[in-house]
Amino acid sequence: MSTPQPSCIEFAKDDLGRLVLVDQDGVRHVNVHPAKLFPLTEKDHWISIQSEGAREILCIEDPQSLPEPSRTLLLDALAMRDFVPIIQVIHRIVRLADGHVWHVTTDRGNTSFEVETDESIQALGHGRLVIVDRRNTRYLIPNVASLDRVSKRKLEHYY
Amino acid sequence: MVARLMTDLDAGLHFRHGLIVLTNTRLLHFEDAGSSQPSFLAWKLAGLQEFNLEEMGATIALHLIGNGTLLGQWRVTSGCLRQAEAFLARFREQHRSLSGEDTGAAARDHEVEEDEEEIFAAEDAEGYIPPGKPLLRLLSFARPWYRLLFLGLTLTMASTGAQMIAPWLTMSLVDDVLIPLQSQTERVHVHLVYVFITELALAALLTWALNWGKTFVVARIAEHVTSRMRRETFEHLQRLSLTYFNRKRTGDLISRIGSDTEHLSLFISVNFIDFFCDVLQFIFTAVILFSINPLLAVAALGPVPIVAWLVQRVRDHLRGGFAAASRAGSQLTSVLADTIPGVRVVKAFAQEKREIERFRVADKHIFDTNDRVNKTWSFFTPMIKLLTDLGLLIVWAVGAWSVAHDTITVGVLTGFVLYISSFYERMDSMSRFTASMQRAAASAHRVFDVLDVKPDVPAQRNAIKVGRLSGEIEFRDVKFRYGSREIIRGISLKIAPGEMVGFVGPSGAGKTTLVNLACRFFEVSEGAVLVDGFNLSDVDVMDYRKNLGLVLQEPYLFYGTIAENIAYGKPEATRAEIVAAARAARAHDFIMRLPDAYDSMVGERGQQLSGGERQRISIARALLVDPAILILDEATSSVDTETEREIQAALDHLVKGRTTIAIAHRLGTLRKASRLVVIEEGLIKEIGSHDELLKSSGTYARLHEAMLEVNHA
Repeated sequence: MSTPQPSCIEFAKDDLGRLVLVDQDGVRHVNVHPAKLFPLTEKDHWISIQSEGAREILCIEDPQSLPEPSRTLLLDALAMRDFVPIIQVIHRIVRLADGHVWHVTTDRGNTSFEVETDESIQALGHGRLVIVDRRNTRYLIPNVASLDRVSKRKLEHYY
Repeated sequence: MVARLMTDLDAGLHFRHGLIVLTNTRLLHFEDAGSSQPSFLAWKLAGLQEFNLEEMGATIALHLIGNGTLLGQWRVTSGCLRQAEAFLARFREQHRSLSGEDTGAAARDHEVEEDEEEIFAAEDAEGYIPPGKPLLRLLSFARPWYRLLFLGLTLTMASTGAQMIAPWLTMSLVDDVLIPLQSQTERVHVHLVYVFITELALAALLTWALNWGKTFVVARIAEHVTSRMRRETFEHLQRLSLTYFNRKRTGDLISRIGSDTEHLSLFISVNFIDFFCDVLQFIFTAVILFSINPLLAVAALGPVPIVAWLVQRVRDHLRGGFAAASRAGSQLTSVLADTIPGVRVVKAFAQEKREIERFRVADKHIFDTNDRVNKTWSFFTPMIKLLTDLGLLIVWAVGAWSVAHDTITVGVLTGFVLYISSFYERMDSMSRFTASMQRAAASAHRVFDVLDVKPDVPAQRNAIKVGRLSGEIEFRDVKFRYGSREIIRGISLKIAPGEMVGFVGPSGAGKTTLVNLACRFFEVSEGAVLVDGFNLSDVDVMDYRKNLGLVLQEPYLFYGTIAENIAYGKPEATRAEIVAAARAARAHDFIMRLPDAYDSMVGERGQQLSGGERQRISIARALLVDPAILILDEATSSVDTETEREIQAALDHLVKGRTTIAIAHRLGTLRKASRLVVIEEGLIKEIGSHDELLKSSGTYARLHEAMLEVNHA
């Protein structure tokens, strides 16, 4: 567990399409996966590289400082794991017996999801909201103030 | 007179008032103070040797000794302990200054006691609080908004006045239009009807607009005042010492800031302003009626006081019932609050039936009290209607008679009836005012009660800023009393910078108190705590506590992300620092397994963490502030042995190079301690290393043996 110089490490892809890490001591780790330390507040920095057994091998503070092609490989791997749709418009929020169904437009298209309780809506400061649905998917509203008026009205009932 | 002390018992422990007075040169004792012929004894200070205080259970004995003999002995109940102590301190100071031994230290004591006396004076003055006093004090909170207040008053008067226009217009409408129309004796200007209707509509519009403005302005003032109260109370609460919080129930403090201020807001914006309008309406109505026809005015207003008095009587009767109903309601709540969280225990002991029965009894009680209230209440509302109808009847009777004798017109009579019936409508709401005023006064009193507490760790004016300490701690003859109990009974101990010392001993021995004294959560009663040679009571508390790291048995996480919780003591910490602290505290791995890693919400409403995980976050929190002095209060007590090992590894990182005081029941936690201090009943029993203490086979050896037995069992 360390934060080595980015220039000393290297990413590659093996024939099976798995991500391979060669660390600062030249040790090869196959099938590693990246995980964000701050997935909601600082999602472009602080990437932990975890082994197959979910043990941390090392930590990269700024992936942008990696030399190519390692950088692209890492960012692609991150993008594949990253699924936090950003809510752009709230169309309807329907109350159920035990929760609500949200109908929204996100940066990944239209969708609807079920939210269990009011506690599933969390404020992260600076107007940033995270909504955790019943399946543990996270939806992000980066700034409540910049939503349109109608969406804000709808949100007001629940948050 | 320098100081005085009221005594409330005589030597035979009967309640009897006495007074001990300290002057510049003498000490006097009055017996039966307050009676017409008090007798007194006096002694010259120079001839006195000692004035002692001894606690004897629920009472306190004061012994006055001079020339080697007991000159006087008085008793007080333990409620007077602080007064007695303050008095004795004054006595000693006066005595010392007489014998020319006065030191600079005395001057400081003096100031402190002066403050204390003020507190006592304030306490004496309490007892019964007239409702006007706390409510008047509310006004002082409204001072910054005096312009708004003035606007609110003007709008209130204007809107009440506007309400008076409609009946006035009706009078002319009846006399100049309607009656001529019907009798058709003279030519009628039909267009006058339109004029009157328009005027009435305008009056209604004006009333609406003024009422709107009034309600909004008054509500805003109420919100300003209560918001300021909430803020000031919370700020004040944050300044109070831990001893205050130990005395108070958390729920009670929360409700004082939360709901009591809410009651006040409601009182100002609704109850008070309604009452004010009603009074204005009464005055306006009276003036108008008298200006039209004094005889009819007397007839119309005459019954008002009687009706008001009757309404008040019935309402008084009801109030007791409502109070009983709300008590019954809270009883039911407490049964629920007891049973639902304790459901595992209920089921385990198969006591469901008993809980159902308990609930049934509480529920029956609610039914009975509500039923009783309903009986009175259903009688009450029609009763008010009857009373007002009777009042109107008088107006009709006198009015009809006057119309018959041509002293007034039909229009005037109509106007009178309209004025007086709109007034009677308000009677019910007026009668509610006394009750709401009392409730608001009680709420205001409860809020001011918090605001008036003086911090018992007084803020020093010229406090020393210690900056970064090396971490030497010395307890010098420390004594600490809590109420009348002496918890620390004289402890002296010196801890070198970077040394780890373990406190062991049975529960209630005073270990945590000692640590609280070192943190200056409590103020020592006697002696001193010194850090790096500075007396703690001369040091700026906030500045000193920057040197402290605290890891408690029940780690407390605030509602927020894990990163925010780790950075609680150092909000400006970088992400690199946060991650490094979490790594050192062995928390990084489990944090990375959470769905949002460092951005996961924790605390009461957030992610559930195990005790060991919470503890490691609190260790990371302590690590991040890099404290010179570290306090571990039972940091490993509430977790299993496996987790304890994890925490232990994290702690080993933390204690390195810091002065550490660790309290532990699990003696394994203390293996890195260079010295163990065994504390029993507020005194140090033994000091030494683990091996030394085992060899001496004293208290520690006994504790150790007991622990081994438990572990092997």
